[in-house]
Amino acid sequence: MSYGDDATSRGATADGPAEGGTPVIADIVLVVVLPLLGGLTALAGRRARAAGSAAIVGGVGSFAAAVVLAARIGGLHHVEAWSGFLYVDAMGAYFTVVVSFIVVLASFGSAAYLAAEEARGELSGFQVRLYFGFFSVFASGMLAVFMTGNLGLLWVLIETSTLASVVLVGLEGKPRSLEAAWKYVIISSFGVTIALVATLFLFFAASGVHLTSVQRLTWYYLLAHGHGLTPASMRLAFLLAVVGYGTKTGLAPMQTWLPDAHSEAPSPASAMLSAALLNTGMYAIIRFRAIAIPALGASFPDTVLLFFGFLSVFIGVVFLVNARNYKRMFAYSSVEHMGIIAVALGFGGVLGLYGALLQVLTHALGKAVLFLSSGHLVLGYRTREVSQVRGVLTTLPFAGGVLLLASLGVAGSPPFGIFLSELTIVRAGFANVGPFLPALLLLLLVIGFISLLNGTIGMVSGERPAAEVHQPYRGWPQRLVASVPLVGGLGALALIGLWIPGSLHDLLLQAIRAVS
Amino acid sequence: MGSLVSPTVLGVVQSLSSSSLAGTLVTLSSVLMLLAAFACLGSKLFNRYVVYYGFQSIALSFAAAVVAYHYDSGELWALAAITLMIKGIAIPIAARRLLLQRLDLRRDVAVSTGLSTSLMIGAVLTGFSFLVIQPQDLPHGAISSSAVPLSTALVLIGALCMVVRRHTIAQLIGWLITENGVFLGAITLASTFPFIVEAGVFLDLVAAVLIMVVYVSGITRQLAEATAAELRELRG
Repeated sequence: MSYGDDATSRGATADGPAEGGTPVIADIVLVVVLPLLGGLTALAGRRARAAGSAAIVGGVGSFAAAVVLAARIGGLHHVEAWSGFLYVDAMGAYFTVVVSFIVVLASFGSAAYLAAEEARGELSGFQVRLYFGFFSVFASGMLAVFMTGNLGLLWVLIETSTLASVVLVGLEGKPRSLEAAWKYVIISSFGVTIALVATLFLFFAASGVHLTSVQRLTWYYLLAHGHGLTPASMRLAFLLAVVGYGTKTGLAPMQTWLPDAHSEAPSPASAMLSAALLNTGMYAIIRFRAIAIPALGASFPDTVLLFFGFLSVFIGVVFLVNARNYKRMFAYSSVEHMGIIAVALGFGGVLGLYGALLQVLTHALGKAVLFLSSGHLVLGYRTREVSQVRGVLTTLPFAGGVLLLASLGVAGSPPFGIFLSELTIVRAGFANVGPFLPALLLLLLVIGFISLLNGTIGMVSGERPAAEVHQPYRGWPQRLVASVPLVGGLGALALIGLWIPGSLHDLLLQAIRAVS
Repeated sequence: MGSLVSPTVLGVVQSLSSSSLAGTLVTLSSVLMLLAAFACLGSKLFNRYVVYYGFQSIALSFAAAVVAYHYDSGELWALAAITLMIKGIAIPIAARRLLLQRLDLRRDVAVSTGLSTSLMIGAVLTGFSFLVIQPQDLPHGAISSSAVPLSTALVLIGALCMVVRRHTIAQLIGWLITENGVFLGAITLASTFPFIVEAGVFLDLVAAVLIMVVYVSGITRQLAEATAAELRELRG
């Protein structure tokens, strides 16, 4: 157990046990274990309402522990134990806060959505238990990803959370959802296998450095010895890592599983996939990038990230233009946004990284709200076709209003946070790589803005449709549970657009220092 | 927890050349693995896929045992034993019992590319692997330098299987061949890879195969003959 007192002590592990060590470890354990509460309740045979409440309690507790963890890391710079298998720095703490907040939103959403589906008879008790069981493994696996400094264990945890989420995608058991789940599991397993090859090459690249075999996979040792890594192997390792983890992140051209999985999963699970799981892949890419830069110089990693980033933004926008299923439309918007984050990493510099990390948070908030509000539409209209959903503002005023505001936010309109993060990214581009690429990015963003809003404005406005629109949730407790995450997520997104709290700003800067 | 690898292992890694008996045996089993992959590529019968995969995994565990003997590493012995039990025995038996017999699957008709064409593409991919990873340029630490391009070839042929075969079982076997290729690369190129991580990789593999088996049988039942070619509903 040791702490880094400043950035230069990274890689030196001989510090004596500092006071307050056990509470931090306990905190880390709480972050990872608490989300399991919902799953355990479900396994005990409870119905959707009880399991959902337990999931909410677990999620909120985990988020609180994550905030405490981030505050402590702020003073300590990093915590490590068990020869680096447990390692949290500001970057990990930041992603933990983001993902655990999404878990809170999705837990509220799941409690309401699953209870409604169970009441409608769409899902059996077994499916509800399956959902909450794997939802909790999914959440806890993702949070554990940010708690390890060992890139091998990181791989194992990312694959674990992926496998847990496959069950959520195929939950409904219809041919379409089985197809989506199969496509998801086979493509992302293959992608993650490529990421394992990347990890092997990284391990191999460090063979010239005097490290033990565990240290050769431990992130901060690799960062500290970045100059000693064999460039040829490192180049291959980085490229394969971007392709492998990029498959998980939804970077084009490896994104083909993403729209299917996102549209077929139950809406709260789609929110988790899009807002949390994609970030987990991005987190791994950020770690590999940090090691690659001292070993190779910035130009190779930046070029790779810019290539995949722009391709993703382009593919995302093109498919956004003619998406007919609204959940697929939101999914393509995720491809676009992951591309924007990769582009921001490619622009580089403190400003680029700041924009990328801020975009991770703002996209997660916006997309979680969008997918959760799509749950209202699925329950209300019983269809996923854009063309059959009309007049949401008159039929379901609350869901319609949230949908409109959230899609404005996700498209990048002020005052929401995504406007701010995209502006930061474009500024970083003008500062670091000249005018052409950021101008191209702006053009693509404008097209994306128009196509996303074209879709959602058509849905929220217009005449009430001829077919009956059902009330998605019955009774005020359920309605309250279903609306909490929408209001909370949208509020946070607007808040970040107007004012970034000082502590968040400091955490972002610390996270950037941790990877450069 | 301290370092998982004894310092002797690290010392031995540097002092090997591929002309040793161990190197020859590893190369031999890699070649057998490649042959098994080609046999999969050239077959149309489901139970053959499973047999060839089992054979390939046994060759892999033999290679792992040779490397373990060579480095005198208990962890690698454990890995060889796990490989034999899980990949060589458990997965083939489970695939046969749970999928082939229960769903009564015999002939794979969902092949997008002719057998001879796919065999030729496979040969090109193998040549490509040797072109990209030139064994003579690898550092002398590796136990068998030609196992590295062979493992790359296995990764590519596994991917090819997933592309030219549309049946979900064929895609599953293709992924498993890729996985075997990665594992072969791991034991030859990075034989001191931490055991705890390898064990985690194995756990994930087993979980993945179990989940895939559930979906393969679900999909097969729903579409009497499930082929990914028929899975065309999701588009755009």
